Amino acid sequence: MFYPQAMTEVELIIPSRDLLDVTKVLSGQGIFHQADSSYMTVKNNESGAASNWQEKASAYAALERHIQSIMLALSMDEGQPVKKEFESLTELDKVRPVVDDIEKEVKQTSDQMNAEHKKLELVESNIRQLEPVAEIDLDISALRSPRYLFSMLGLLPVANIERLQTSLERIPNVFLTLRQDNQKAVVWLTGSQNNADILERAARSAYLNPLTLPEGYQGTPGKIIQSLHDAVGETQREIKELKETVVAQHNAYVKQLQALLWDVRASRMLTDAIVRFGQLRYTYLIVGWVPTRYLDDFTERIKAVSKDSIIESFTTKRGGDNQAVPVALDNPRFLNPFQSLVTTYGRPRYGEIDPTWLMTIMFPLLFGAMFGDLGQGLVLAGLGWLLSSRKVKALNSMAGLGGVVMACGLVAAFFGLMYGSFFGFEDVIPALWMQPINNIMTILKIAIGAGLILLNIAFLLGIYNAYVARDWGHFFFDHNGLAGLVLYWGLLGLLGKAGSSFLGLSIPVPTIVFIVLAVVGGFAVTLSEVFKHLIEGHRPLIEGGIATYAIQAFFELFESLVSYLSNSLSFVRVGAFAVAHGGLSSAIFILAALMGGNTHGLGYWLVVIIGNIFITGFEGLIVGIQTMRLSYYEMFSKFFTGGGTRYEPLALYPSKEN
Amino acid sequence: MLASGVTDYAAINARVRVMYATLYTPQDLAVLGEAVDFPTLVGQLKHSPYGPYLERVSDKDLTPRRTVFQIKARVADQFASIIRMSPKQARQVLIQLFRYFEVDNLKAVLRGIVTGASWDRVRFVLFPPSTITNIPAQAMVEAGSIGAAVELLRGTPYYETLSHAMKRYSAEQNLFPLEVALDLDYWRSLWKETNNLPAEDRTQGLRVVGTLIDITNLMWAIRYREYHHISEEELINYTLSFGYRVSDKDIRDIAAGADIAQVVKRVYPHLSDVDMLIQENHKNLPKLEIELKRHLMNQCKAVFVGSPFHIGLSLAYLMLTELEIQDLTVLIEAKSSHTPDDEFRQYLL
Repeated sequence: MFYPQAMTEVELIIPSRDLLDVTKVLSGQGIFHQADSSYMTVKNNESGAASNWQEKASAYAALERHIQSIMLALSMDEGQPVKKEFESLTELDKVRPVVDDIEKEVKQTSDQMNAEHKKLELVESNIRQLEPVAEIDLDISALRSPRYLFSMLGLLPVANIERLQTSLERIPNVFLTLRQDNQKAVVWLTGSQNNADILERAARSAYLNPLTLPEGYQGTPGKIIQSLHDAVGETQREIKELKETVVAQHNAYVKQLQALLWDVRASRMLTDAIVRFGQLRYTYLIVGWVPTRYLDDFTERIKAVSKDSIIESFTTKRGGDNQAVPVALDNPRFLNPFQSLVTTYGRPRYGEIDPTWLMTIMFPLLFGAMFGDLGQGLVLAGLGWLLSSRKVKALNSMAGLGGVVMACGLVAAFFGLMYGSFFGFEDVIPALWMQPINNIMTILKIAIGAGLILLNIAFLLGIYNAYVARDWGHFFFDHNGLAGLVLYWGLLGLLGKAGSSFLGLSIPVPTIVFIVLAVVGGFAVTLSEVFKHLIEGHRPLIEGGIATYAIQAFFELFESLVSYLSNSLSFVRVGAFAVAHGGLSSAIFILAALMGGNTHGLGYWLVVIIGNIFITGFEGLIVGIQTMRLSYYEMFSKFFTGGGTRYEPLALYPSKEN
Repeated sequence: MLASGVTDYAAINARVRVMYATLYTPQDLAVLGEAVDFPTLVGQLKHSPYGPYLERVSDKDLTPRRTVFQIKARVADQFASIIRMSPKQARQVLIQLFRYFEVDNLKAVLRGIVTGASWDRVRFVLFPPSTITNIPAQAMVEAGSIGAAVELLRGTPYYETLSHAMKRYSAEQNLFPLEVALDLDYWRSLWKETNNLPAEDRTQGLRVVGTLIDITNLMWAIRYREYHHISEEELINYTLSFGYRVSDKDIRDIAAGADIAQVVKRVYPHLSDVDMLIQENHKNLPKLEIELKRHLMNQCKAVFVGSPFHIGLSLAYLMLTELEIQDLTVLIEAKSSHTPDDEFRQYLL
């Protein structure tokens, strides 16, 4: 629970004859995370098996795409795999002709459909072109190929009319504007066929786009448009019939295609996995990881199908370089919402503490302390339950957040009891602890105190992570390591001493102790790079010259001091938001009193209800963001690196996030 | 009217005058021109108002193209700042003036699509993105085709123009009709917006904008005739019918084959050596353009003399900034390609 699942690295050497059986076991269990060992492949292995598998994998991938394209044409979803267990590789020679036959039939309908759509598009475009001249009572089919006249009917930008006329001043022509709106005009340009070249050039350079008169239509534009509308109706009828054919084909082939898709996909995934095996002369080398708790079962199953196989396993230590080890988080299901918050920041590395449990405790606590209200907290908890129950379809995409919202709501309700706040009313229930708005300094001090505790926990976790990783440079000298913690304690002690009267504290430790801590810690942090290089055996100890290093070290120390201070003071916001919550509620009641007077009429309650909705939604969101900030920035940055490799076990049917 | 001009333009006038003082003088540019190489020039620019923009990029990434890009970012910011402070009636003209860069960006994007360039190659050729207006340049480049890219412009002032011109692009598979359509639409809109200004603003605005339009229109006409050899009717359709000094008659004369030098002398009698500039057209046209830009620069500087409470100052300053960028671009390219002094100095304004 505190670490990702323990993993064991396994190496299998299996005889060629057992290849498929072993691969089926590997992919059937859904626990084996494969590593690529194809680089071990020996050239000229048994009958060129390596390239054979590569070819098969490509062939399955192509067939899978083929089936998907047919399903897409028939608007078919992929469905679910019918078979529970994989039986054997799909026989390409048998399946291909079946798929080809279906495709031929579907393609014929699809081609017809495309042709009809194109026809419809063309006819509609013709209508759009003719609509501007619909009212002209002239047989425009006569203009199609006049013998002695140049004639062009078309659309022209209004701004170009004057220029076109100017350009044709010296050429005899007739130019008529038939219709005009703000931007375009329908114009007719005509002149002698002898001047056709000039007229055509002028028209083209003025961007006069000629209207294309549809072939086979006679009469006035109005009559042609009517005929075109008839053609649209006819084409739409054709399309409707073709759609019915598509539905029939969908129903006829849906089950067959879905089954084929999953079979081919499983074969493709299996062959893909084999391609990543190391292929030796008569054997195959397979490398990967399995969770340690499944190792015995895994070994047994492999041995059951391949007695001659050799299985080597290596327990993976948490320390050292374990970047490549896949990380399977090991938390109870109910912690999944908080695990998502952690993985949003980063996936823990194999040797790193999984902070999900810390997040589960800390996140609702910080949220609740800032948003303490019994009524609003219960509303939030209810909303969280509604989200996670998936009872409202529209909220399904936020179901993963439900658990977090519910936990935050319940803790907010608890703090509401402590603060004596119920839907913003501060006098309905007694405060079991205190009312933040009446104890501002106290709540701020407590917030900082709680922040100091959390920061110390974060420091200790960071130091522990470094210890587990045997990263001694980080452990001793990093500004988030032991040296940083000593410096932080020294500074805290000095600040505590200086402000003890203000804080109402008595610190029974002599000041000199804190001075020594601060100086020793500061010295170690300042020279951390040198010490780290010393421990790691890295030379030179100082890179880039002493002067540069001194300046850099000074500013790094300065930055560390500033960040310690800002990290600590950052938790003031917990108290500040608790106070602000009371303040905001008061503002709502003042507004309500203005609306409803002293009688507490309808206006009063309306404002109270709207105000509560506003506070629950708006302030809830802001407090959520602040909690996220405190968790990620102030806490995680001290001990959590992230960047672990995701555990993706081999499975014929892809599983969801582990 | 005068009183409202004073209240509208008092603050912006003060600001523009401060900004005007930060422009490079010819002496400053001469000093920059003496930089021994490109890194030295960049080092000098870092101590100028362009410094903060250049500091945003590490030295190793400051290629000549990237340097120009960073410098232009300052112009974008200045436009934004001036537009924000300007009175309502002036904003539309200033925004339209800024669209000049956007039109250039559009052309660069369209060329990028045609040549199959990636977004990474195209992005630093563009004028930097601004808060004033923006086109979905990256999405357009990634759209992969001119048609799809034009569709992404729906809702912008360019869509109607480009979608109408697409018919010619589809037929000719050449960007020329799209670029000409964009240009014509841009300058017509700028002219229209400037003419819509109140009286004093209109007079001063046309002085600057009109001069710019004159130069653009005249150079188009000369280039169309001398470089592209297009027909009279095409030349007329590809040019503008209005201007400050250049009239429709001047353009039609050029289109009809009149002596270009005579037309230029008629429009700009103060220009010297016009015959020489026009004689060997192909070689000297860039020099003619530089002379005309110097005329524009003088016009802009003249706006700063006299009553300051109008849009002219803002327009003139922004125009001068753009001309300064052109000079700096010449210097950056010259220093990065080790061009001799006497070759590049003649291209400085």
